[in-house]
Amino acid sequence: MKYAVSEARRCVLCGFCEPVCPTLYPGGHRGHGPRGRVQLILLLEGSSSRLVEEALYTCLLCGACTQVCPAKIDVAGAVREARAFLRSKLSS
Amino acid sequence: MRAAERLKDVLGADKVITDPLIVNLYSREPSGLSSRAGAVVFPESSKDVSKIVSFAYKHNIKVFPQGSTTSLSGSSLPAEEGIVISFERMNRILSVSVVDSTVDVEAGVRLGDLNVELARYGYMFPIDPGSVAVATVGGAINGGSGGLRGARYGTMTNWVLGLKVVLPDESGTELRVGCRTTKCRQGYDLVRLIVGSEGTLALVTEATLKITPMPEAVVTALAFFPELEDLYAAYKEIKESRVQPLILEFMDEETARLAKEASAAPVEVEGHMLLAAVDCNREALDRVEAWLSELMRRHNAKRVYTAVKPEESEKLFTLRRSLFPAQVFFGNKRYPGKRLMVILEDIAVPPSRLLEAIKKIREVSEKHGLQVSIGGHVGDGNLHPSVAFPLDDEVMKSKAVAWHEEVAKIAVELGGTVSAEHGIGTLKKGLLEAELEKLGSRKALELMRGIKRVFDPKGILNPGKVV
Repeated sequence: MKYAVSEARRCVLCGFCEPVCPTLYPGGHRGHGPRGRVQLILLLEGSSSRLVEEALYTCLLCGACTQVCPAKIDVAGAVREARAFLRSKLSS
Repeated sequence: MRAAERLKDVLGADKVITDPLIVNLYSREPSGLSSRAGAVVFPESSKDVSKIVSFAYKHNIKVFPQGSTTSLSGSSLPAEEGIVISFERMNRILSVSVVDSTVDVEAGVRLGDLNVELARYGYMFPIDPGSVAVATVGGAINGGSGGLRGARYGTMTNWVLGLKVVLPDESGTELRVGCRTTKCRQGYDLVRLIVGSEGTLALVTEATLKITPMPEAVVTALAFFPELEDLYAAYKEIKESRVQPLILEFMDEETARLAKEASAAPVEVEGHMLLAAVDCNREALDRVEAWLSELMRRHNAKRVYTAVKPEESEKLFTLRRSLFPAQVFFGNKRYPGKRLMVILEDIAVPPSRLLEAIKKIREVSEKHGLQVSIGGHVGDGNLHPSVAFPLDDEVMKSKAVAWHEEVAKIAVELGGTVSAEHGIGTLKKGLLEAELEKLGSRKALELMRGIKRVFDPKGILNPGKVV
């Protein structure tokens, strides 16, 4: 999770990524957008939940958010690593 | 939160989230401030909002309305135990009337989405805060937002004709105030009382907004001045030339260089930046372009770029639009891997005092040893000096807080205000008191607190904010 956390830590919560995210509105809450996902990644090592997993697995990894992010955070890359972390927790 | 579980019965389980990890997403804002709520509720209509408020009133639950949480003053965060009402599912544009020059919208519509829709008619909603892409109509109304075009179009106060609101009473009364017409004398002006009240008086669920035609043609000029005095002389001459520019934006040299580094702006930064946009009819484009270019050069601008085509103008805006990215970029570069707090000031001074204000801010920043970015909507005297520092650095934090208070003091001393368009929230309550004190108007605070009690006798609506 080192890469995912270091990417997520760079987020200043401006939300500029949200209008371009295709999953935010259908998802029904902020966790289904990039701003929410990177914040959830920061908490993932401590705890998780069904809603958190849903939020991370509904990301399309399209990278639209990174294009408009002022800090150019690699959300898709961070989400990939977070999914791997969740899988490893399941199998352990 | 047991009450939130009961709210699921009232509203429907799919409209209430109590998972603390998801709720946490509604408990932070870009300034770095954070808090904790018990639940987030997602109304899908005014009726839903009414049910929530009625429930909250009966059970003494505090309610905190949120749009996109891009506030920079703490106004959208839960200040104590309570529930967040997120308007993100109330995002419908209800009707557009070009003849009436109005649009009816729900509170959760994003300003950027609204402008995409209005562009189909050749119209726009002119209030454009830096967060225009993500900010919502409800958030902008509550915050009394302005933006780049403030000198020309003012703030939300000037563009809201009518509101549908829910009052914090036993039945969650739904109320329409204001008119669908520009001229409206409906007794005391409750619309303008609610605009800018930061969600402390009533919950805005729908709004009737004025719209305006997109300009026929626009000349954009971007110039760099080695000397601040020369930039101010050019600015002053534009202001005195019987034109009302759409946009007049400023960045000091250091900030412009950072913005250039953080963006792909196709310009060379050689001094402090002045960006001017003037609208005109198509036939006048060449004349206005030549006038702006000559004026900037005559005041010793080292580089001047002009554009008349929208795609070329957009390139000249890249630098200015990179002000916030530059602040983030710079913070990340200076403090790699650290979580940042950004204090973004929002002062306004009379435009005739701008030069003094900028110089004094630079002096204060130097005194505290802070690397400060200075930019702003100088067309209306609004400046946004900012400083970024690691959230866990207490020394930097105390310096930044002292700086923040001194900058606000400069604004008041020059006849200005501590908050132009971001609101008071929790961050500027002390500064508001100081400003009113300076004016000899402490009584105004009592009036404001009295108004709050009339609207919200139990104090359940966004408590702890403004007054």
